[in-house]
Amino acid sequence: MKAMSRLVCLLLGLQLAFTSVATEEKYPFENAQQRSLFMELSKELRCPKCQNQNLADSDAMIAADLKRKVHELVLAGNDKDQVISYMKQRYGDFVYYQPPVNSMTIWLWLLPALFIVLALAALVMSRKKVSVSLDAQQQQKINELLERDK
Amino acid sequence: MKKYILFLLPLVAFVGLLVFLYQGLFSDPRAHKSSLLEHTMPAFSLPDLMQTERQYSAEVFNGKVTLLNVWGVWCITCAIELPYLTQLQQEGKHIVGLYYDQDIDPDFGIKTVSRVQQEVTQKLSQLGNPYAFNIFDVKRDLSLDLGVTGAPETFLIDQHGRIRLHHIGDLNPRVWKNKFEVLYQELVAEQ
Repeated sequence: MKAMSRLVCLLLGLQLAFTSVATEEKYPFENAQQRSLFMELSKELRCPKCQNQNLADSDAMIAADLKRKVHELVLAGNDKDQVISYMKQRYGDFVYYQPPVNSMTIWLWLLPALFIVLALAALVMSRKKVSVSLDAQQQQKINELLERDK
Repeated sequence: MKKYILFLLPLVAFVGLLVFLYQGLFSDPRAHKSSLLEHTMPAFSLPDLMQTERQYSAEVFNGKVTLLNVWGVWCITCAIELPYLTQLQQEGKHIVGLYYDQDIDPDFGIKTVSRVQQEVTQKLSQLGNPYAFNIFDVKRDLSLDLGVTGAPETFLIDQHGRIRLHHIGDLNPRVWKNKFEVLYQELVAEQ
């Protein structure tokens, strides 16, 4: 039993070792910084062909091509913003998961805030009205009722 | 008056939401504007598909209104579109192919060029050949610069080599009528 579990552990270990070797061969980097930048970008850039997959996730040919391009650009010493703007120039804002704030997308931020402000205003206004809508006669009646309850 | 407003406000909001969501039902999530519109063709230097010693550059698009069609023999929709493209070519349109192959992986290089040429010749003799010539995008670099997401896609390029229209998907009589025809006629008239 013990030997068996050891064997399993060994096999798992070997498999892990081999997969890491395989990825290193596909996209070799000069340093860890480049590698982590590449990983980050392939998670944040969207595959233009598929609707909701990032480059790392997608098997589409275009995703493989873009990954290769990202690798090339990272190796050439481009920083994150440069790679993103390179991709945006070709595939539009769609290719990056963080949309830019412009005249169209500003509403995504403004509308909820506007809604909260309006709702609060409506709440305050309706409150005020209840407190002032009693005339003298009603007030007298209330007082009578309160007296009777005592 | 106040009461009416209170009654109408939710109704108006609801109808607004309804219109917004209804439009969403019919919008194409893949349609997004090409960021290369009105730009000149990106620079490239690529061989002819059939005579690989011949090289093309972006200047090849100057002086003529061109339809640049991205395709490949492996692409099923392209095969459906070929007869219609051939018809367009017979009407006198200048159509250039941008050919790329799926199996030529720059990392490995599986397929030989002569094999690709053989497949292309066979496909074109079956379905019609609309192309004045085919540019061979060996490593798909030009496709990437053009923002191509797959095949088929078609670009309308004016006589100054500027990209005026980018269509994702197949070209058929309906698309031609709705999207291409007016602009194409304008560009030809300018020529």
